[in-house]
Amino acid sequence: MEERLPAQTTLFRDALRRLFRNKLAIIGMVILGLFVFCAIFAPWIAPYDPIAQDITRRREPPSWEHPFGLDEVGRDLLSRVIYGARVSLYVGVASVSLAIIAGTLIGAVSGYAGGWIDNVIMRIMDIMLAFPSLLLAIAIVAILGPGLLNMLYAIAFVSIPAYARIVRASVLAAKEMDYTLAARAIGCSSSRILFRHIMPNCLTPIIVQGTLGIATAILDAAGLSFLGLGAQPPTPEWGAMLGQGRGSVFTAPHVVIFPGLAIMLSVLGFNLLGDGLRDALDPRLRM
Amino acid sequence: MIRYIAQRLVMLIPVLIGISIVTFSLLRFIPGDPARVMLGEHATAEQVAEFRKRMGLDDPLPIQYIRYLGRIVRGDLGRAIRTNELVTTELAQRLPATVELTLGAMFIACLFGITAGIIAAYYHNSLFDLVTMVGALIGVSMPVFWLGLILMYIFGFKLKWLPPSGRITPGIPLPTIPEVYNIHLTGPVGEKVMWLLNFLSNFYILNSLVTGNWVALVDCIKHLILPSLALGTIPMSIIARMTRSSLLEVLHQDYIRTARAKGLRERAVIFRHALKNAFLPVITVIGLELGYLLAGAILTETIFSWPGMGRLVVDRILARDYPAVQGSVLVIAVLFVFINLAVDISYAYLDPRIRYE
Repeated sequence: MEERLPAQTTLFRDALRRLFRNKLAIIGMVILGLFVFCAIFAPWIAPYDPIAQDITRRREPPSWEHPFGLDEVGRDLLSRVIYGARVSLYVGVASVSLAIIAGTLIGAVSGYAGGWIDNVIMRIMDIMLAFPSLLLAIAIVAILGPGLLNMLYAIAFVSIPAYARIVRASVLAAKEMDYTLAARAIGCSSSRILFRHIMPNCLTPIIVQGTLGIATAILDAAGLSFLGLGAQPPTPEWGAMLGQGRGSVFTAPHVVIFPGLAIMLSVLGFNLLGDGLRDALDPRLRM
Repeated sequence: MIRYIAQRLVMLIPVLIGISIVTFSLLRFIPGDPARVMLGEHATAEQVAEFRKRMGLDDPLPIQYIRYLGRIVRGDLGRAIRTNELVTTELAQRLPATVELTLGAMFIACLFGITAGIIAAYYHNSLFDLVTMVGALIGVSMPVFWLGLILMYIFGFKLKWLPPSGRITPGIPLPTIPEVYNIHLTGPVGEKVMWLLNFLSNFYILNSLVTGNWVALVDCIKHLILPSLALGTIPMSIIARMTRSSLLEVLHQDYIRTARAKGLRERAVIFRHALKNAFLPVITVIGLELGYLLAGAILTETIFSWPGMGRLVVDRILARDYPAVQGSVLVIAVLFVFINLAVDISYAYLDPRIRYE
């Protein structure tokens, strides 16, 4: 006789189902989908060259020909905003990925080793957290020199402690679990225990923190570029566009409205998705 | 409680030493010769050598660090290269502007954030709740510098309700407190008091209140509104969300039902019973955000031409004036650490369970 088992469900599938029932998360994914699309297909969908100037038509307001208008040196703003998605998403994702890799390693070593190693590492993290992150990023860029890559490294560096702390806490909790003891009893090596048995437990908070972290990274990157410390002209970066167009806010407000809107929407997208992921992956964390 | 505070103060020492190492390294990690970078392309070899000697850049690093530590403990942050002014003098002028802006932003954030959070929680799932929460979501995603520019355009330029930038209208006199009350003190203590009074005079609102300068007071408050609104939006959104979720949780507790069952007026239930317990997490968030506002002020100050510390940092970075950068970063970081400490202590005072963790 054939026995019918209940439909198999995994933690992952369960979370995905919850995520797709969350309206706000779906809005977030739609917004992000739009930006990812822009970033990938920028050369095909942008109507003009983002760095081609037409000095004779500076600060021209929006029209059918140029839906977002022209900037202070006569470049098409719509094209620049579309290309800007590449820069911002790249900086956001790359800096958070770097921070997650470094933070995970540091947190895992710290939590697993314990003792004085843990103590020293966590004190260093405390010192990094003693600086407001934007200020520390600015200080680092001041040392390395302004530029897109240096800004990326600075943002990655200042986000390390957040991930290191999450991973360390998860490792500390998992270290006491019976399955860790069992793994040790059958003779698993330390690195195998750490990476195969303990680390998968840190994934949930890392994914949530990482998604929300991209939002912060995009915001910080735009801020640094706005100050002239990040992406350099003529790179179409949203924050830099705002910084350069700032002088014409009274005469040609469209120059600052559209890049700012793009920053806000992309950050909103990651925030909505991050909140949704948190609710879906770990309902206990619900705020 | 005293034990807890003492413990926290001891834990602060390594952090403060760490901050000093980071700010010290700031000057030494510059690629190339810091002396040449700071003096610019056209400096002669003699000028560079003289500068290196004057700054002690030729000594071994540990010696340089100990000398640096000795100087900052005595309150000497060096001189800015471009203006040759004492960094502490510049900071004493700039710090009050930043503090005023930070407090203004926090006032707006608390006023609107807490009110909106309470109403949203009380009328849970209503239209107001929905609008507040969507607004808060947009608020936390708002680039401060963009919001600042938009506010400046609408209220400063189009409607002309408020001044678009600056701290006080040029031409409005705002004499210092010692000038108004004709205070002249001499001697070692007297000079310190005079310094303090002059420092306090840089808090324009405080100064105009103390000296009864109402014209300046109104003008300063008008100038403060737009930057505070821009800077306060993110904390306002976070406070609104926190107040709402915290109050919602409390409103479902048994003792609230008991309070209602015994016939208390609704106002008493909310304000006397519910809010008292709901406020703990809100206070933590307020404290944490206060620290972040100090850093967020960097962008706001740049937009509104607000003569604070944040703008000083950016200006000096772009001018490659590293001693000034070093000093400002140090002061902001130390302030940040002490604000966070104050938050932790007040939290431990309000919730005794924290002390035993």
